[in-house]
Amino acid sequence: MKIVSLAFLLPLLTALAAAGQEGPYFVTYNSHLEEPGNLEIATSSTTGIPRSGQRFYSAPYLELEYGVTGRWTSELYLEGQSTWNDSTIFTGWRFENRFRPLKREHWVNPVLYLEYESVNEASRIQKEIVGHGPDLISPNSELRSGTNHELETKLILSSDVHDWNVAGNFTVEKNLSHNEGFEFGYSFGASRSLGKLATAENCRFCRENFVVGAEVYGGLGTTDGFGFGGAPHYIAPAIAWQISDNSALRVSPGIGLNHESNPVLLRFGYSYEVRGFGNKLARMFGARR
Amino acid sequence: MHKTIIIVMLFSMVPGMATSQNTSYVPDPKWAAPPKAAVRNNPLTPDPGTTAGGKKLFQRNCVECHGSDGSGLIEKHAADLQLPVVQSQSDGVLFWKITNGNPDSGMPSFSRLPELQRWQLVLYLRTLKEHIPD
Repeated sequence: MKIVSLAFLLPLLTALAAAGQEGPYFVTYNSHLEEPGNLEIATSSTTGIPRSGQRFYSAPYLELEYGVTGRWTSELYLEGQSTWNDSTIFTGWRFENRFRPLKREHWVNPVLYLEYESVNEASRIQKEIVGHGPDLISPNSELRSGTNHELETKLILSSDVHDWNVAGNFTVEKNLSHNEGFEFGYSFGASRSLGKLATAENCRFCRENFVVGAEVYGGLGTTDGFGFGGAPHYIAPAIAWQISDNSALRVSPGIGLNHESNPVLLRFGYSYEVRGFGNKLARMFGARR
Repeated sequence: MHKTIIIVMLFSMVPGMATSQNTSYVPDPKWAAPPKAAVRNNPLTPDPGTTAGGKKLFQRNCVECHGSDGSGLIEKHAADLQLPVVQSQSDGVLFWKITNGNPDSGMPSFSRLPELQRWQLVLYLRTLKEHIPD
């Protein structure tokens, strides 16, 4: 019980101890990459409210996102999971890279995404949903028994139209550990800032500090059976609050759209941006100013 | 095998961090706004409240490279925004440069900001020329 509570509260506590205008999405990626040289440290959690036969769980994860160049962002994830009346476990890590092939802003901006995952079947952060979604029934002792090495790619298409951002992702995942074919997933999101103009005052609750939106995401089956059937799907309103110049809070209550989904998927995230991290690190290694 | 992959990935991030900064500021002659973008006028009038909002946006998004007075940090090789070579550019050009960025030389795109906030930044940039020493 204590472990479960700790796993649930840890991201929020870290948030209280601890990014530009942060988008509200948890699953959908858009074309806005991390600024070069900046490091974003984010802690988030995905909490599943169970259906009959399922158990309450919370899956916290830590993200370290670094802007390698203006067109290349790398991200490292460490993730865990805690299930009510079961156990709290480490579920693995992920390393992702996003590349912008085009130099300028266009009507539609593509981004290429490549991720290596070393996670077990107990992973429930659901940063993306592919195939038929995570196993929400089996106990952790069974799910954690083997580690899967997976390669995931996404095609990210994103457009900034007036004050709106609209983005769509198509995901393909291949488990390198087992011959399961390919798994597919999708997500779409739309968001906009509440304030068109920035006010003169330094205020926490000004309209321009809030970005609101919604995303829809789910699985599309596998090469053995492509389609919407048998996979979880969610619709999720989302809000991001820019608390300070460096930190942002995001909240998104996802509503399950079918029986394969959790009825509600609550997501919280807090991010803190370390500006000029690359410069500071370079100086540590002897680079001259 | 597993540990080797982790070590290779972590070490691949370190040189990226150490070498990803601009090594020198050289104005990019290819970074030119299209004529249609260059002739756009700022829809905002420079009243104190709107300009002060632009200053707030500048402090949040631009100070890291251009410095609090816009003179450009040497270590970032960022443009000195007080210089005539910058101030002589039209509002439309500055807006286009803020929107698109020049990612290969370190200037990120700020298309994530609402359009009017980018025009507010242009308003504030115009106040920086007053700091030019005689």
